[in-house]
Parts: sequence; structure tokens; C-alpha cells
Amino acid sequence: MTTSALALEMRDICKSFPGVRALDGVSFDCAAGEVHAICGENGAGKSTLIKVLGGVYSPDSGQILIGDVERLFARPADARKAGVSIIHQELSLLPHRTVAQNVFLGLEPTRFGVLDRAAIRAGTVRLLKRLSSTLDPDARASDLSVAEQQVVEIAKALAFDARILVMDEPTAALDGRDAQRLLALVRSLRLQGVAIVYISHRMSELAEIADRISVMKDGRKVFTGPAAELPTSRIVRLMVGRELAQFYPPRSQAPAGAPVLEVASAGNRVLADIDLTLSAGEIVGVAGLEGSGKTELARALFGDLPFERGTLSIAGVQKELRSPRAAILEGVGYLPNDRKREGLALQRSSRDNVLLTLRAFAFALGRAKGAGMADAAADELLRQLDVRAAGFDQEIKLLSGGNQQKVIVGRWLVRDPRILIFCEPTRGIDIATKAAIYRIMRNLASRGRAILLVSSDLPEIVGVSDRILVMRGGRIVGGCDGGASEEAVMALAVGHQVETDAGEGANIGVAS
Amino acid sequence: MSVVASGMARPRRAPPIPLLLFAGSLILYIAVALWTGQTSQLETDGWVGLLQRMVALGIVAVGQTFVILCGSIDLSVANLISVGAVGASFIMQGDASMIAPAVAVVLAISIVVGAINGAIIAKLNVNPFIATLGVGLVLQGLLSASFTNFAGSVPPAFQAFAYGALGPVPYSVLGLFALALLAWWALRTTKFGAHLYAVGGNAEGARLAGVRTDLVVIGAHVVCSVLAGVTGLYLASRLRSGAPWVGREGVYDLESIAVVVIGGTLLAGGRGGVWGTLAGVLLFATLDATFNMLGVPPYPKLILRGAIVILAVAAYAVRSREHVA
Amino acid sequence: MMTTTARPELRKPRALDLAKHINVAVVVFVVLYVIVGFLQPSYWEPAGFMNFLRRSAPLAILASGQVFVLASGGFDLSMSALITLTVIGGSMLADNDPANTWWTIAALYGIGLGVGVLNGLVVSLLKVPSIIATLGMLLSLDGAAMMWSGGSPRGYLPDNFRAFGRLVIHDVPVIGSFPIAVGVLIVFTLIAYWGLHLTVFGRRVLAVGDNPRAAELAGVRVSATRVAAFVISALSAVTGGIMLGGFGGVSVEVGSGLALQAIAACVIGGVQLMGGRASVVGAIAGALSLFALFTLLNLVGLSQSLRDTAQGLILISAVASGAYRLRRAG
Repeated sequence: MTTSALALEMRDICKSFPGVRALDGVSFDCAAGEVHAICGENGAGKSTLIKVLGGVYSPDSGQILIGDVERLFARPADARKAGVSIIHQELSLLPHRTVAQNVFLGLEPTRFGVLDRAAIRAGTVRLLKRLSSTLDPDARASDLSVAEQQVVEIAKALAFDARILVMDEPTAALDGRDAQRLLALVRSLRLQGVAIVYISHRMSELAEIADRISVMKDGRKVFTGPAAELPTSRIVRLMVGRELAQFYPPRSQAPAGAPVLEVASAGNRVLADIDLTLSAGEIVGVAGLEGSGKTELARALFGDLPFERGTLSIAGVQKELRSPRAAILEGVGYLPNDRKREGLALQRSSRDNVLLTLRAFAFALGRAKGAGMADAAADELLRQLDVRAAGFDQEIKLLSGGNQQKVIVGRWLVRDPRILIFCEPTRGIDIATKAAIYRIMRNLASRGRAILLVSSDLPEIVGVSDRILVMRGGRIVGGCDGGASEEAVMALAVGHQVETDAGEGANIGVAS
Repeated sequence: MSVVASGMARPRRAPPIPLLLFAGSLILYIAVALWTGQTSQLETDGWVGLLQRMVALGIVAVGQTFVILCGSIDLSVANLISVGAVGASFIMQGDASMIAPAVAVVLAISIVVGAINGAIIAKLNVNPFIATLGVGLVLQGLLSASFTNFAGSVPPAFQAFAYGALGPVPYSVLGLFALALLAWWALRTTKFGAHLYAVGGNAEGARLAGVRTDLVVIGAHVVCSVLAGVTGLYLASRLRSGAPWVGREGVYDLESIAVVVIGGTLLAGGRGGVWGTLAGVLLFATLDATFNMLGVPPYPKLILRGAIVILAVAAYAVRSREHVA
Repeated sequence: MMTTTARPELRKPRALDLAKHINVAVVVFVVLYVIVGFLQPSYWEPAGFMNFLRRSAPLAILASGQVFVLASGGFDLSMSALITLTVIGGSMLADNDPANTWWTIAALYGIGLGVGVLNGLVVSLLKVPSIIATLGMLLSLDGAAMMWSGGSPRGYLPDNFRAFGRLVIHDVPVIGSFPIAVGVLIVFTLIAYWGLHLTVFGRRVLAVGDNPRAAELAGVRVSATRVAAFVISALSAVTGGIMLGGFGGVSVEVGSGLALQAIAACVIGGVQLMGGRASVVGAIAGALSLFALFTLLNLVGLSQSLRDTAQGLILISAVASGAYRLRRAG
């Protein structure tokens, strides 16, 4: 590894939004061939910092130097031309266009004013080869798995000879195996001399890949140092500002209660031979790679992608759940895995969002602030959940991801279903809120509710669940006890399948 | 054909809407002609008549395709068509030497209107529905305040645009297909075309990739407005004069949007193309022609037309699991 | 997505909070109406104001119905044709006999209900975007109205039918005169306000308009909510049509342009297209502003045609200023 001259230097960057000082004199640098990680809780200013670097926002004050030359970026195109490429947290691919069209978007080579499609395709093949990927350059983006889309994003970032690559939580939506592949890719890019700024909430990843780590808190940078000297506990303390007593709550000692949910030889066009029992008081984790069918299982149990075969009983009575509404009426709740797209009415207040399910079942012409729906009742619940907002009548889109997630959890606490399915409940959420959500799950279980935790985050599955089911190819292929090793779960998830390239084995799922 | 349907088929491939619409329209036309015994409609003149019905809506719908592909919409086209038709015949006043100036003025006005539409949408962040509706009202108000009836006339030389023909095929029909070919080429092979799809598919993603989304939106609106102006010129040529209601009477705003959507272009943008639009136009022309053959009176025709717009879109929208508003 | 705004903002003084809650359209209306009064002082008298309200009542009612569809994320362009159908159908059914008025009105509301349900089902079950769906409905209803009347509607509705638009009760204390139309306006808008802002149903409409998928996963019956919104819009069109039938004669032009004017009124009142943000007060204030603007243009002698131009300009500037404020607020 070469630590040559600094590829990037940001000096005293300040940026304010109305009412908020988002960045307060932040300085940051990264050398060629270095991975410099940034961590911090949601709202610490990480995303704002990289948006300033990428020309999305212009800073109020401060300097940006690229290879010792001061630069001013008026728009993203300027940053890209200067060799700064950013892979944003939310994938920005064009769903209906091909891989090649996506990779060269914005810098299409032309010949006599006409797109040079041969050059675009050849360039894409070359870039994909550099990333050791066998993706078809003519495949449509919407037909790719999330992991494959991430590869396209990286190819796109490298298309303009990026010397500085910023990755904002690139592994957030990836399961363990795909995340490992991505980290390998990052390492190879580092060897090629790319300066990499890496943002992640996954502590284990940072230890694995980062050369240096910077910690941000409340718009300031509070620490920078070599990753090797920095134990995870210290990072967490710097980020949170205090010690986190216990990350995963202790498992209950009492045996599980009566079965609440029983599914026998059920299936639909994605799932097959599903047999499972969920009992009162237990948290059952569902692990599996992307495309294993674990999300579809959750949706089937919630009536969103109903079973077409087999039987399903709740509390011993056979039921048919044809719609989410039917499932809710039978006492099932569901936290969707995509907060913004499936969870929140973003322009409504926290109050309206926490009361959404209650109102869905109340008398339509009843008072919106009727029994259980008064502002005071909603506010009390939101306070108990420690939702932090300027006001609970503020639009929920202004809240951080963690606070938004707490509001959705609150929506179900109001309804108090017998069975609650959590889909990726902590994706993109800071550590303190993660811990809070685990505590809520455990509390619900100890009150006799049955919890299903569907997650791609293996440490979370292993740390929280009482029992773990592993899925592959639309089937439940095995189970482990809670606290099993991550390797054991992963072995089941991967099966004895020979390791193939990312294109295979991921064809089952509905492309997201 | 069946080779394609092997195991290699990708999931969720969109049905070949243009082909289905073309085939369906032709079958409908032939069937009705045979059934009503009007076999003369199946001779050259009948076919040419059918194609000629496509011209006015076809030109403006090609423009509307550009706008809808980039995620916008243009409700001002009908009013701009009126402006174009009245402007052309008023400036020409039957004088052949004024053809070139009149055409130049109409196209210049169209470019300005398109740029204004695009700028209001892209620079002032106004919802395209409202922006173009507003611009349309402004145009219509100015036009109706200045003209109340047919104004001026076009010289015979200009009428060749609508009535001249190369052999049996009218210039206007050839022009429409040349235009469609050009539009197809532009969407497929130019940077502007690629960026149009990009802005419609994911505007924020395109902006982050360095695409000047504002310029793309403005460009699409300029294309659409210019084609609306050309439609106005064509109508002036066909009607031999322009009146301030020709655009509204043809319901070109709503019908152009309808044929674009029927042709398989997503109303939200990012997917679709000009052949689907042309197929949608053919469907509308076929319905017109078959209603005539069947002797359907004008009012039931209107009712059927409304129902068909809905059912044609529903035919492939109904399978979508997405929410639609 | 900005993640940094989670920290509490500085509390602004209460007076500013209050000012923020007053709809801009209310201010616009007051300013326009004051100017109208300067040009024609009779508008400042109670009778003048009542007459102004009477004439703007149909548009205000349409706006307060349309606002439900806009709030749910859609558009209802079929309103114009339903108004025409109401007037023409009313004259066909009532057949100049005052005894027929009541069941005719009931039948017209029945037609409105059917149109609304159909619009809602086409959008929510057939998944046709509402612009296209209600446009198709517009064409069909126009055709139906013309067919029903044999193509050349003429004449007037029975007098007791026309009373809803025309009748003015005189010698009322304080205000002097009281048009029936204003009574209808008050009742309809109170119901609309209650429906959108005070009921559980209203919150569902706003949630569906904001994010239908999230609403569905939270248990909201999205399709039923949409259908209800279209029904309310259609019923407002029938109500507006009944009143407009009292204003003038029967013609095919009665409803033309009114759907777009109703949408414009809502937009001026700060209603957000594609759903999520809506206010009945804003919609009504927007309608009154628009009508005051028309009155003003009339008074200064601007031709009927230039009304369109003015409406277009005000529409664009209202939305542009709203978008600008939103951007400034981050």
C-alpha cells in the first residue's frame, strides 16, 4: 500500500441549513491507495459532508483540494470531471436502461454527435472486467439483484477515471456473502491507487477494510486515527458519546408459549414447502441471502404476496390471509424493509404516521382525534419511544432514519398484534436506535407476542433471535439455535452450492 | 418466433405493444370493411385516407412522446396548434411570397413557447401539468382576444402541404413517417435521447451522474412545441385558413397524451418510444374510419372513444401491482 | 435526504406561527376583493358581497370536491362534462314541469354517484392513471349529454330547479339579502372541511395520496378510499351543475373549463398536486380569489378571452412561489 500525496483534502468545511448547522468546520483528507472510513450516528453530518464533496451542496465556507488544486463544484458534473465519484446510499440507476447505458450515463462518448454505442459497450465490458464481474452489459438494471446493481454503480463511478471514490453505506442492502465480495472489490481498487472514502454503520467491516477512521458527531469531526489502534468499543463511545451498556438484550429464560402461527407445506410462485411454527414469547430470526425468499416469506405471512398452497393457522384456527388488511385483522403486524417507499407517508406528521394503522380500522366518519387518537395520546407514545423531533406535527421526512423507524414501530405498538414481523428493522440506522429497537422486540416477546425477525444482518440475527431459520431458493433449508455462529448460519444459507458468480442463484427474487 | 420464448427469456419483458396495436388496428379496419361490404375502403384510396387521418394527431403526438419520456407533460399543445394555424394564415393572407416568413414566425413562436414551458418546469420547479396548462391558457386568451374567426388564408402553394401527393401517397403522410423515423433515430442514437430517458427514469440519479436535467427538460419541451407549431401549419394548410379554435376542437392536448400512453410509454417517463405512439395514433385513426363505415352517429362515437381510451390503457396497466393515482 | 435536521429548531414566536397558518390564498382573495370594491363600491355592500358569493359558489363547491381527489394523488378532469350532463340531463328529466324537480335532482345525484364510482374503480382496479381515466370519462359524458339532448339542447330548467342558483331571500337582518346558493355553498364546504380535516376518512385520503403503498401495508383500504374521493368530487360537480343550471340557460358549454378552474383554485390555495398536502380552506379561498380576479378583469374592461390569459399567469405564479418557498425552507 502506498501512502503517497493526498488525493483529497477538505479544509474547515461549514454548511448550514435553516435552523441546523450541518457541518461545523470539518477537515478531512484521504490519500491515494487509502481507505478512509467515516462513521457517526444518523444526523452526524456524514451525508452532508460527502454531498459537499460531490457538488450536490456548495459549502458556506472552507476549501476542497483535489490533488493539491483548489476546486469549486457548482454541480455534480463538476465533481465527476475532477475525478470524484460518489456512490450514494440510494441507488441511482435507471431501471429501464441497460447496464452499459447506466455505466456511461452523463459521459457518453459520441462520434459526429451520435452515441458511440460500440465504445460504450466495450468500455463497460472493460470496467466490469476490472471489477471481475461477468454481468451482461446489455441486461436491464431492473432485472439485476441489489448486489449486481451495486457493481454497476461502482463501474459507473469508475467510468470517468475516478481517483477518489466515495461509498455511502455500500453494503447496507447486501447480505453477508455479497458484502464480502464488495469488500474484496474495494481492496482491489485500493491496490489500484484509488482513494476511497467509506461510510458504514457496520463496525466489523470497518476493522476489516479501513486504513484510517474518522468519527463525526453533531456536525463536527471528533476523531481521526489509524484503524488498527481503534477498538470497536472506542468508536461506539466516540459516536454515541457514552458507553452502550448492552447492545443485544438478554434472551428470555422462560420456555416459549403456545404456538401462535403454524404454516404447513405452504407455497406460492416464489416459495415452496414452507413449514414453520411461531410461538408466543419467542423471537425467530429468518436468515438467507438476497433472493433466498426471506422477504417473500414475510410478505406471504402478511398477506401481501399470499400463499397459494398449503395451510396457515393462527392460534389454531385455519385462516387465509389474502391482503395485508386481512392479516392485520387476524393479529399480524409488519415492518416493511424499505422505510421510505413502504413505511412512511413522508409529508405527514409523526402523529399521523404513528396513528395510521389505528385510523385504517377506525370508523371512517369518526373524529380523527377521537378515542386513542388525540394528540396527547400520540405524543405520549412517541415520547416513550424517544422519538426526537422539533415537534410531532413536523413532517416525518425531516426526521432521521432511526426516529422514522421508531414511529413505524409505534404504529404497531398501538395495534399490539399477536405476531409482529420485522423486516430489516435496522437497515441504515444508527447504533443507539438499533439497540432501542432490539429492546422493544424483546419486551414484546416477553409480553407473549411472537416476533419474526427477517434480516440480512447476520450479527443481528445471531444476537437477537431465540431460534434461527435459514432460507435458500424459496425454501426453509434448516434451523439453528439463537447464538449459533455466523459461520454456521452462512453455511446453511449458501448450502453446498458451488460458489458461482453473482449472476446465478439470485434469479428467484422479484427484482427490487 | 418461438425460439425467443426459451428459458433464456428475461422476467417481466414488456409486451410488444406497437406490434399488437398495429396488427389489431389493421385487423379491425379490414374486418369492418368486409363486414359492412365497403370493400372500396381496402383499395389504395381507402388506405391512404386512413393514413391521412393520422397526420395531425401523429405530428403532435410524436412531440408529446419526447415530453412524456422525460417525465413531463404538455397540455399547451392544443392552444399552440391554434396559434400556429391562425398565425400562418394571418401572415400569409393568401400571398405565396409570405409562406417562408409565416413558417419562420410560427416556428420561432413555438420555440419560445417550448423554452418557456421547459424553463417554468425545470427552473421554477412548477408541476408540468400546471405550468403547461397555464401557458396554454395564456396563449388561448391572447389568441381569442385578437381573433374571433378564421383569419386570413393560405395560398394554394401552401395547400400542397396537406393536399399534394407523391404518386398515391400524400406528402403529409410521407412527412409524418419521416418525422417518426427521425424521432426514433434521435431517441436511440443521440446523447439528448439517452439523457431524455435518464431524466424520465430517475431524475435525481441522472443529475448526480452529471446530466444537465434542466436543459434536457427544456429541450424536450422545445421539440414538442415545435411539432405542435408544425401541426398548426398543417391544419392551416388543410383547412385553407386558421381559426382560434382548431386546436381545442381537435382535443389535441388530451388525445396526444392518450395515444402516447396507449402506445406503451410510461406516463411517469423513462420507458417507451415513438413507434408505440404512432401505433396508438393508427388505432385512433382506425376507430374513426371504422365508426364512419359503421355509420355510428357522432355522439355515440364520442362515448365509445372515451371508453376505448380507458380500456386500451387498462389492457396492459391492469396487471401492474404498483399503485396508480 | 437530509439527515441532519433532526436536531430541534429554534422556536419561532407564536405570532409568526399563526401567520404561517393563514392560507396565502385568503390574503390574495382579500387584497383582490378590496381592489374590486375600489372600482365598484357596491361590492363592499352586504348585498354586493352576497351576490359575489352566489356567483362564485359553483366554482368554490367544485374546488372543495376536487380537493379530495387531488389529496388522494389523482386528478378529476371529468368534472366539466358531468356538470354539462347535469344541466342537460336535468332539463330532459324535469321536462319543464316543476313537479319533476325533486326526483330529477335525486336521479342526477345518482348519476354523479355512478360516475364517481366508475372513475374510482377504473383508477384503482384497472390501474389507469387518473388523468387518462377521467379524460376518457370526460369524452364519454360529453357524448352522452349530446346524445341525450339530441345534439341541440336549449331552453331553461323549471323555476324551482333554478332556485338553487337564482333565488335570493330578501329582508334578512344584518346582511340584507341571502341567496340560496350561498346557503348551499356553506353547507357543502362545511361538510367538505369536516370530511377532509376532522374525520378519520380525511386522514386516510391524505395518507393514500402521500404514499399508497405505505397506507396499504398499514391496513388502509386504498381502493375504497380512492373511490370515495372520486365520488365526493362527482357529487360536487352535480351540485355545481344544479346551481349553474339556475344561472343561465341549458347549453353544451356550461361546464367547459370548470374542472381545470377547480384544479387551479386548489393549486392557488396551496394544494399539492400528486397528493399529500391539501386544505379545504385553501381550495375555497383559491376559488374565491380566481373569481375575484375574473370580476376585477371584467371591471377594468378586459375581454372575456384575456381572463384565460390572466388565469394562466396567476396559476403559474401561485405554484412557482409555492415551490420557491418550499425550496427556501430546505
